[in-house]
Amino acid sequence: MSNCLSLRRHNVCMVSDFFYPNMGGVESHIYQLSQCLLEKGHKVIIMTHFYGDRKGVRYLTNGLKVYYLPFPAFYNQCILPTIYITFPLVRNILIKEQITIVHGHSAFSTLAHETMFHARTMGLKTVFTDHSLFGFADASSILTNKILQFSLADCNHVICVSHTSKENTVLRAGLDPKEVSVIPNAVDATMFVPDPSKRHPGKITIVVVSRLVYRKGMDLLAGIIPDVCQTHPDVQFIIGGDGPKRILLEEVRERHELHDRVIMLGMLEHRKVRDVSQDRACFSAGDILINTSLTEAFCIAIVEAACCGLQVVSTKVGGVPEVLPPDLIYLAEPND
Amino acid sequence: MVDKQQKRWRKILYEDQSVPDNYVDSSFLDELQKNLHTRKYDYWTVCEQSGEVTQQISSLGLFVVAYVYMENGWLSPHTLFTITTTLTCIGYLLKVYIDHYYQDTTSNRTLLDDIKTALVFAGFSYGLSPVLVSLTETISTDTIYAMTAMMLLGNLVFHHYGANAALVSEALSLNAGLFASVCLASRLHTTWHSFSTVTFSIEIFGLWPMLRRNLRKHIPQTQRWLTFLLMIITSMLLWTFSTVAAIFYITLFLFITFICPAWLVSLQPLKNNIHGPWDEAVIEEKKVS
Repeated sequence: MSNCLSLRRHNVCMVSDFFYPNMGGVESHIYQLSQCLLEKGHKVIIMTHFYGDRKGVRYLTNGLKVYYLPFPAFYNQCILPTIYITFPLVRNILIKEQITIVHGHSAFSTLAHETMFHARTMGLKTVFTDHSLFGFADASSILTNKILQFSLADCNHVICVSHTSKENTVLRAGLDPKEVSVIPNAVDATMFVPDPSKRHPGKITIVVVSRLVYRKGMDLLAGIIPDVCQTHPDVQFIIGGDGPKRILLEEVRERHELHDRVIMLGMLEHRKVRDVSQDRACFSAGDILINTSLTEAFCIAIVEAACCGLQVVSTKVGGVPEVLPPDLIYLAEPND
Repeated sequence: MVDKQQKRWRKILYEDQSVPDNYVDSSFLDELQKNLHTRKYDYWTVCEQSGEVTQQISSLGLFVVAYVYMENGWLSPHTLFTITTTLTCIGYLLKVYIDHYYQDTTSNRTLLDDIKTALVFAGFSYGLSPVLVSLTETISTDTIYAMTAMMLLGNLVFHHYGANAALVSEALSLNAGLFASVCLASRLHTTWHSFSTVTFSIEIFGLWPMLRRNLRKHIPQTQRWLTFLLMIITSMLLWTFSTVAAIFYITLFLFITFICPAWLVSLQPLKNNIHGPWDEAVIEEKKVS
C-alpha cells in the first residue's frame, strides 16, 4: 500500500467481556476507538463473549467485525477464568485474522486478560486499557490486583484514561510508570451540540445519565432528590439509565409523590443520549448534569454534557477533577 | 516550546501540556497516603482486652469441670443446680442494679416478664429432661466426646467477642454450647443430671456472656479481676482431676493474654494500607427522610 513506514497498517483485535448489547463507558469507548482506527486504514476486529442469542460473527458500521465467542458469562458479565479452554478458539481467530496487536479493555474482563496472555504466548504485541479505579483494602481487591499484576507483567503498553487512573494502575499492577500512557477518553463533539429549543422554559432541568448502581452513587442521588425538589419548586429531574438501584429511585419518587418531577427514562442508546426519543430530550433538555459517582476513572458523561452546554455538578472523586476546567464544573465532596 | 516545558505540569486532561503521553511528573503519586485510619495499640490495653477471649475459654472449662465432677460422682446435680441458680440470681440482681444505675434499659421487660421466662424455661427443660437424657444414649461415648469438643470449639469460634465480623453469630454460638450440653447429658443417666446440665449450659453460654458484656460496658475496671478470678477457679478445679489439662489451660491463658498481644503489637509496623484519590467514597449514613 503506502511506502511510508509511519503509515504501516496494523491488524488490531479489541477484546473485552464488555461490548454491545451491554452498555457503558467501556463498550462505547471500544466502539468509537475501533471506528477511528478503521478510518485511519487499520484493520480492526472485536472479540467478546456471546450475549443471549447474539452469538457468532456480526458486522457493525464500516464493516467492523465482532466475534461473539461461545463462552458463557459467569459473574458480572465476565467469563469463567480457565486460561486453557479459550486458547484454541482465540488462537484460531488471531491467526485467521492475521492480528498483529491485541488490545484488551477493562481490568475486570477475564476474556481480555486471557486473550492477551494467549497473544503474548503467540508472540504478538499487546496493549491494555484500564478504565476503572480499584481500591487496595479488602480481600477481593487484593486478589484482583494480584491477577492484574500477573496479567500486565508481560504487556507491551498500558493506557489509562486519567492521571489518577494511571497512579492507581501503576500501584496495583506494580508497573513502571513510563510504560503507562494517559490518553483521556474522547467525545465526538459533532454528536453533542447544544440545542436550546429543546429546553423547558421556566423550569430547571437536572439530568442524570448513569448506570443505576451503588458505585455511581445512586444512594446519594436518592437522598438529594427530595431535598432539591422541596427547596426548588421549579426543578425537575430526568434520569437516564438502568440498573439494580432503579428500584430505590422509584421508591423515593413514590414516597415523595414526585412522579411529575422525576422522569425515569430507562436504558438509553448512546446516540440518543443527546436526543432521547423525540420529545423527551435528555441532554438537550437539561440545564444541569449531576454526577454522583463514588469512584470514577474519567466519567465521559460529564464531557458529553459540557459539550451540550450543560452546567456540570459532580462529586470530587477519582479522575473527575482532571477532566473539565473549573469554569465548566462544580465539584462537591461526596459527604458534604 | 521552551516556555511551555518550563511551565509547571498540572494534573489535568483538558489542556495540551506538550508532554508525551507516558510523561511521569515529579508530583506522581503525591496524593498517596499510607495508614490513614490505623489504630495505635497499647500493649497492656490489648492484654486486658484479651480477657474477652480468655473469659469465654474459662467458662467452657468450668462447664467441662462440672461434667467431669458429676460423672465421677463428686458433685450431685442438686448441688450444681443450687450453686448455679444462686449465682444466676446474684448476676440478675447485678444486671438490674447496672441497668438502674446507668439508666441503660434497652428493652422494656419487667421483672415479672423475666421470672415468667425463667419459669417457662425451667418447666420445659425439666419436663423434657427424660427425653434429653436418652436422646443420644445409643451413640458411643467417643463420638459424644468428639462431638462435644467440636461443639465447644464452635461456641468459641462464633462467640461474639465485641468485633462485628461476618463470622460472629451469637445464635450459632449458643446453640453449639447447648448441643454440647445435650450430648454430655446423655452420659449422666438420671433426669436430674440432664436437667441441671442443660440449665447450667443456658446460664453459662447464654446469660453469663450478656452479664459480662454489661459489666465491660459500664464498669470496665472489673474486667481484669474477673479474668483473673475465672482463671484461678478454672485452673484449680482442673488441677483436681487432671494436671495435664490444668497446665494446658494455664499455658493457653498465658499465650492469649501476654504473647498474642505482643505479637499483634509487633506486627503493626508491617501495616501498609494505601489511600489515594482513587478510593471509593463511603457514604456516611445520614437521616434520609
